[in-house]
Amino acid sequence: MKKSLFTLISASAISLAGAVSAQDVTLQFWDNQQTESGLSQFQQEAIDRFMAENPDIAVEVTTIPYPEYQQRLLTAVQGGNAPDIATLDQIWVAAFAEAGAVADLTDKASASGLSRDQFFGGAWDSAVVDGALHGVPFNVDVWQFSFYNADLFTAAGVDPASISTFEGLRAAAEALTGDGQFGVGLFGHRGEDTVVVVNSFIFSNGGAVLAEDGSCALNAAPAVEAMAYLQDLAKFAPDGILNASSGTMRELFLNGSLAIEFWPALEQPTLQASDINWGFVNGTAPQGKTPVGTFGGWNLAIFESSEHQDAAWRFIEFMVREDVNGDVVDLIPANKTAAEAFLAENRQGPEEIMTHLSNANPRPLSPRYLEVADIQMTLYQDVFSGADVQAAADEACSSIDALN
Amino acid sequence: MTAKDRWIIWLFLGPSLFLLGLFLYWPLVGTVIDSFYDTSFISPEPRFAGLAVYERVFAGRHFGDVFWNSISWTLGVVILQNILGFFAATLLNQGLPLQGLTRALVLMPFVLPGVVTGLLWRFMYDPQLGLINSLMILFGVVDDSAAWLADPDTAMAAVIFVAVWKGFPFSMLIYLAALQNVDRSQLEAATLDGAGAWRRLIDVTLPAIRDVVLVNIVLTLILTFNYFDIVWVMTRGGPQHATHIFPTQIYETGFGQFRFGEAATYGVVSIMVLAVLVALYVIVQLGANRRRRTA
Repeated sequence: MKKSLFTLISASAISLAGAVSAQDVTLQFWDNQQTESGLSQFQQEAIDRFMAENPDIAVEVTTIPYPEYQQRLLTAVQGGNAPDIATLDQIWVAAFAEAGAVADLTDKASASGLSRDQFFGGAWDSAVVDGALHGVPFNVDVWQFSFYNADLFTAAGVDPASISTFEGLRAAAEALTGDGQFGVGLFGHRGEDTVVVVNSFIFSNGGAVLAEDGSCALNAAPAVEAMAYLQDLAKFAPDGILNASSGTMRELFLNGSLAIEFWPALEQPTLQASDINWGFVNGTAPQGKTPVGTFGGWNLAIFESSEHQDAAWRFIEFMVREDVNGDVVDLIPANKTAAEAFLAENRQGPEEIMTHLSNANPRPLSPRYLEVADIQMTLYQDVFSGADVQAAADEACSSIDALN
Repeated sequence: MTAKDRWIIWLFLGPSLFLLGLFLYWPLVGTVIDSFYDTSFISPEPRFAGLAVYERVFAGRHFGDVFWNSISWTLGVVILQNILGFFAATLLNQGLPLQGLTRALVLMPFVLPGVVTGLLWRFMYDPQLGLINSLMILFGVVDDSAAWLADPDTAMAAVIFVAVWKGFPFSMLIYLAALQNVDRSQLEAATLDGAGAWRRLIDVTLPAIRDVVLVNIVLTLILTFNYFDIVWVMTRGGPQHATHIFPTQIYETGFGQFRFGEAATYGVVSIMVLAVLVALYVIVQLGANRRRRTA
């Protein structure tokens, strides 16, 4: 009896020790919640799968609403309580890297065989700071696709394909404006959606926000031309452009009074659920040029303070795997193979979307991005208010260059 | 007062003073200290910059906008809110029928959260879908819809209007309480002497409630200068900085761009303005107390 009791206690102790060692690393993973898509259930299933494949690692997920996510991360980093892994908006990566908050993943990626060609190039580039990889692309989307109301186009006798050029978009917007109807859903409030849409017109015209040496390029001819084009196009947009957002334009598009709205591909589920007869084209560029969009999306980063760098890397490898990535994102998987499958299943025009994603540029990879974007917002509001574009761009550039 | 009494006074005051010091005055001192440092997310270690941060903020493109916007916002709201509040209180003091219901209805804007008020009015001002433009076009006030919040010339007035709509019941309540305490016999005597409504207001009512008016004005000055949510929800300080006031600028600089040193500098300027207003409040209160003692 004594022996069997001893055996029982020993077995329990061994199994308890085994249970402890089975999950002797617990990773803290923070993610933001942008939509109410029910994603968390799929994400939890994937994490369960990861833990089954990696019994020595447990993962605790904290989901934080988008509006407070950046502040919570910042507070955690400054307070020394950063998670092991978090999703970082592409535009934050440079600042987090500059602050020394996130780890250099170059060697780990190289050892694992993760490389740029497995991901959308612009998304991969958004994680590279001073030549070092500080994150792995997790999900992406691109601003902007031009979604059009096919019935309004038919009634006006306008070919939807024509809006893929600067000239065609202007002509279509003019033809589609009148009698309480608006041709094009331009918006110019102080928000990041304003920045990315104007950027895409600048990129498509061959311009840039920052030159390769980091100096401001907004007052160079391609950018100024693109902004002047948008200033002219604004007369076919709904009134109130300076306080209007992409959300405002969505309301008008859905009630049938707006012919063209600018959104990323994530707009498709909303349109699919509506009564609008819609279609889309990939952005807009001058005749003979390819539309270049502006990337949005999130990267997975490991915090420098994490004591479980290797386990965290295994988790990242798992999350961007082609058979997993599509299950755990609410935008488009950053892994190109996963993206193809995801788009084929969930979006109209998957090939067009893949093309536009492959042509997109990231926003400026500056550790002062938030300040650069703030200056851009002021500039774009000046442009939409009818200011002299070159003078406004010169002033913006002097402010941006003064940041360095 | 005995020594024991003094000990008891300090015993009761002590915890409150300690908490005030910890949660109000220490952060205030911290803000002043931060304003001399360059601190941002990419430079988390504060670097002493002395007055350079102030120079940068004062020379910046937006400081003048924020300063003058704050002045026009505060004066606009306070003046209109107090006039409307006094007018409403005078009406409600006339013993009209359904007075209880009327008071409850008038109080409604005041009890709405600022964020809800901002969202509601933002939608009402919408150039395409908003009720205001529809009504104005219907009644022939304007021919075409106006973008009230998107035009730098009208945005501040539009936001002030909403703040007055939300805030006037607060002033009204205070004025109503004061009006109900005006000596009826003095009003009746003035009426018997042939004074009309206007003379009674100027010569009897206003002198009787003078202290309340002053306190109300100074209090609304302080509350309005500190206001944040309606402006942020309706315009985020735009268009083109036309509605940026100190609280919205501090929030955007600190929590939007993580330039904590500059945000603290805006905060210090804001504290200095508030200190003047608080001093004004204290002077008004002391004057009122003195008059009460000599009355």
